[in-house]
This record gives sequence, structure tokens and C-alpha cells, in this order.
Amino acid sequence: MPRETFQQELDGLVSDVLDFGEEVKDSLENMVRAMEGRDAGAARQELGVDIRYKTWGMDIERECMILQARQAPVARDLRLLYTVQSVTNHLVRSGTLCEHICHAIVDTEGCERDEDLETALVEMARTARNVFNEGLDVFENRDIERARDLQAKDDKVDLLYSESMNLIANPTEGGGGAPEWRMRAALMVHYLERISDHGVDVGGSAVFLVTGQRIEDAMQQYLDRNVDQDAG
Amino acid sequence: METEKTGRERKVSEVSRDQRDARKKGDGAAPGDGLTLGMKIQDLSAFYGSFKAVTDVSIDIQANKVTALIGPSGCGKSTFIRCLNRMHEVIPGARAEGHVMLGEQDIYAKTSDPVVIRRRVGMVFQKPNPFSKSIYENVAWGARINGYRGDMDELVERSLKHAALWEEVKDRLKESGHGLSGGQQQRLCIARTLAVEPEVILMDEPASALDPVSTQKIEDTMDQLKQDYTVVIVTHNMQQAARISDYTGFFYIENMGDPGQLWEFDETEKMFSNPERKETEDYVTGRFG
Repeated sequence: MPRETFQQELDGLVSDVLDFGEEVKDSLENMVRAMEGRDAGAARQELGVDIRYKTWGMDIERECMILQARQAPVARDLRLLYTVQSVTNHLVRSGTLCEHICHAIVDTEGCERDEDLETALVEMARTARNVFNEGLDVFENRDIERARDLQAKDDKVDLLYSESMNLIANPTEGGGGAPEWRMRAALMVHYLERISDHGVDVGGSAVFLVTGQRIEDAMQQYLDRNVDQDAG
Repeated sequence: METEKTGRERKVSEVSRDQRDARKKGDGAAPGDGLTLGMKIQDLSAFYGSFKAVTDVSIDIQANKVTALIGPSGCGKSTFIRCLNRMHEVIPGARAEGHVMLGEQDIYAKTSDPVVIRRRVGMVFQKPNPFSKSIYENVAWGARINGYRGDMDELVERSLKHAALWEEVKDRLKESGHGLSGGQQQRLCIARTLAVEPEVILMDEPASALDPVSTQKIEDTMDQLKQDYTVVIVTHNMQQAARISDYTGFFYIENMGDPGQLWEFDETEKMFSNPERKETEDYVTGRFG
């Protein structure tokens, strides 16, 4: 096949992004474990990942730039490079947010906590992790049908976000946990919501990669088609 | 008060979106609906003796746009473009069937004069081929034999300016055209084509024999030319097609021995970002050809 070397370079790039994704998945897994078990030791393992992930992201971006300069990619190759850069950015951001959350866990070790809020936070962390993992799987397998379902799964994270914010804003009398912990909890809620959004975007990038359409446009066409069928 | 932006001030994507919207209004019609038509080709087939080299091409060439034709070697691009000004039939045994409308005139109608057609549809070839005459005479010659009675000096200057060559040759118009560099010679040939005031300019790999700087000048020239002319270019350089053209047609031979056919035609932006057909994508990404 012509352009065999270029194809190998593209395959290598995708493989690198997937390896990167696996590492971020491990970090998120550690974060969830730390939240479930109030385990500051587990959270401590993730301190410092941010700089490593940023460096990894820059390496991938540099590879993309070199391939664009040397190989003048078009069509599916161009879409792949664009997608790789976009997914890499989501991975770096998710890794950074994960480290922020782990910092909060370490910093608030031993602080009094609100049980209901902590339960909601842990549930939110599990769900956000699941959405992120599924987004990465959708990207790896280019499964555009599942990409459409990811948005619905992210809605659960949004509901937990509202519930958690409500508990933070309206603590029960004598409850609410230590102020420092509650303040950090507000930030964690926001970070978890963003991690889930990054997962949705990673999955959505598979739609662009395969079809050249933005997932929003593809979703709209899908909905319009169903409306037409229902009307018919 | 918001004023309407000119083409130059607008982003590429805005212009393309407008064109695509215009197309959608045409209920899925061919690219460019809502724009001015330069040539309309219907069911055009080309033959060398009994061999059918190109089959059933139907395509609308938009006025004041650059249309690029790409495809692997031997798929009929050059044969097709030569049919657009009846140059194909000068090869013994070669003929074309179908319709090529230039305005209201079918250039293959019995009443159409090939000489007049070739004046209205000029051609620039792969290899620069200036006459063994001065730079001035190279440009003036075609106009003179076509009976031009205006100010010849003004015509030569205007043509050379349009071809982006005037500044480089204005002080040596009496020198031989052969004394110019390859890139300058090609622009001289473009000026010679422009001097007979055609409506459409066909270019068959006009920069394939030129160095990168000369190629860039030819590409810049094409960008200027489309403001006044309709340009159709055959190129093997896909990045060139992507850079300079508004529309791109991909020619393809499905099976060995079959005639070439127009496999896909769309806005260049679409052809190089998300083409409809797998063969087009394989070709533009360099996976075959």
C-alpha cells in the first residue's frame, strides 16, 4: 500500500493517544478509590501527574504538527490528526482535574464531612469515571452509535452536580462538614462535571473522525429523521 | 451599520457555507447552483478510434471559479479537458460525443466553428511553448490573426499584467520569449492566451515542469485570473488542487480497460476534508494512484 510509512506513523500516534488514555483512566480509578475510602494515600499517588500529562500532550501535538508539515494530510488523515489533537487536549485536561481533586482529598484529610454530600460526590465520581472510560472506548472502536448514548449518561452527572450543589448551599443544621471540606467539595463537584464532559467529547470525536460531521449535527439529523418517520 | 463583506474580507468557511446553502436551496442539485454557469457538459464521451477513453461526463463548470480535475494517470483528465475546446479531435481518429454548452452555444453543434471555439476557450499546456518571436509578438500574435483592431500596446500590457509578468518584462519586450525562465515562459503563454480575450481558460498541468517559486507565481496568477475568467485545470499535484481550486472533480477508472469517468465532483473543501466516495478518499490521501 502506498504511504505505508505515513500509515504506520498515524497508527503509532493513535496507539500513543490510547496509551495516554489508559494512564488517565488509571488516575481516575485511583481518584475514585481515594474518594470511596477517604484514602489520602491513594490520592497522594496522583500528585504530580499533571506535569507529566502536559508533557505527554505536548509530545503528541508536536508529532501531529510534524506529520502535517511533512505529509500534507487530507480527508480522513486530516480528520484523524485533528481528532488526535482534540482528544489529547481532553486527556490532558481530565488528568489535570483529577490531580486537583486528589489535592483536595489530601488537603482535607481528617476534616469532618457531610455524609449525604460525600455519598453524592462518590456517586458522581464513579459516574464521571464511567463516562470518561466509555468515551475513550468509543474513540478507540470508532463506535458512533454509542457516542450518541454518552450524552444521556452525562445527564446523570449533571443531576448529581445539581444535587451536590444544593447540599453545599443548604447544609442541614449542625451538618455540612468542615467549611474547608465543603468549599473543596464545591470545587470537586465542578471538576467531576468537567471530567464527564471531556469523556463525552472524546467519544463524540469518533463521530467526526468517521463521518466528518460534528456530533451535534449528527444528533440533529438523527432526531430529524426520527421526527420525519414518526410523522410518516 | 453593518455593511456587506466582500469575498476577500470573508473567511473561507463563510464563503463555502454560502455556496453550500445555495446548493441546498436547489434541492440537492449539482454543486454551484445559484452561481453563474461557465460551461455545462452533458453526457460527454471521448474516443480514440474505437477505444472509449472517457464516458458520460456531466458537469457544470462555474464561471469565475477555478475547477480542478484530479485522478490517476490514464483516467482521461487531459482527454476530457481537450474536449472542452475541441482540441481532442485534432488527433487523427479521435472524436467526442455529447454536449458542451458555452453560454447558449453547443460547441459540438454542426454550426460551431472549432477555430472560434478555441478563441473563446483558450488553453495552456504542460510545457511552456512560446513562439520563436519577441515577448511582445508572442502576446500580440494571436490577437492580430484574430483581427484585433484596438490599441495593441495596451492589449499586450494588459495581458502581461493579468498574467503577472509585466513588471518582469516591461523593459525587454523586444527580446525573444525563449530567453525567459520556464516559469516566465509559462506566464507568457498565459498572457498569449488572455490576449485573444477568451471566456474560459483550460490549463493542462501548467506548473508540472516548473520549480516551486515559479509554481507559486502561476498559482497566484490563477487566483487573480478567476476574477475575470473561468479556469479549468488538470493537475497531478493534489495540494495544488486543494490550494487553488473552488471545485474539484475526481476522475477514476473502475476496472482496467474501462473508460475513465467522473467519479466525484464537489466543492474543493469537501473533496479534501470529507469526500463522499471511498475511492476519492483513497486517492486524495495518497493510498493509490
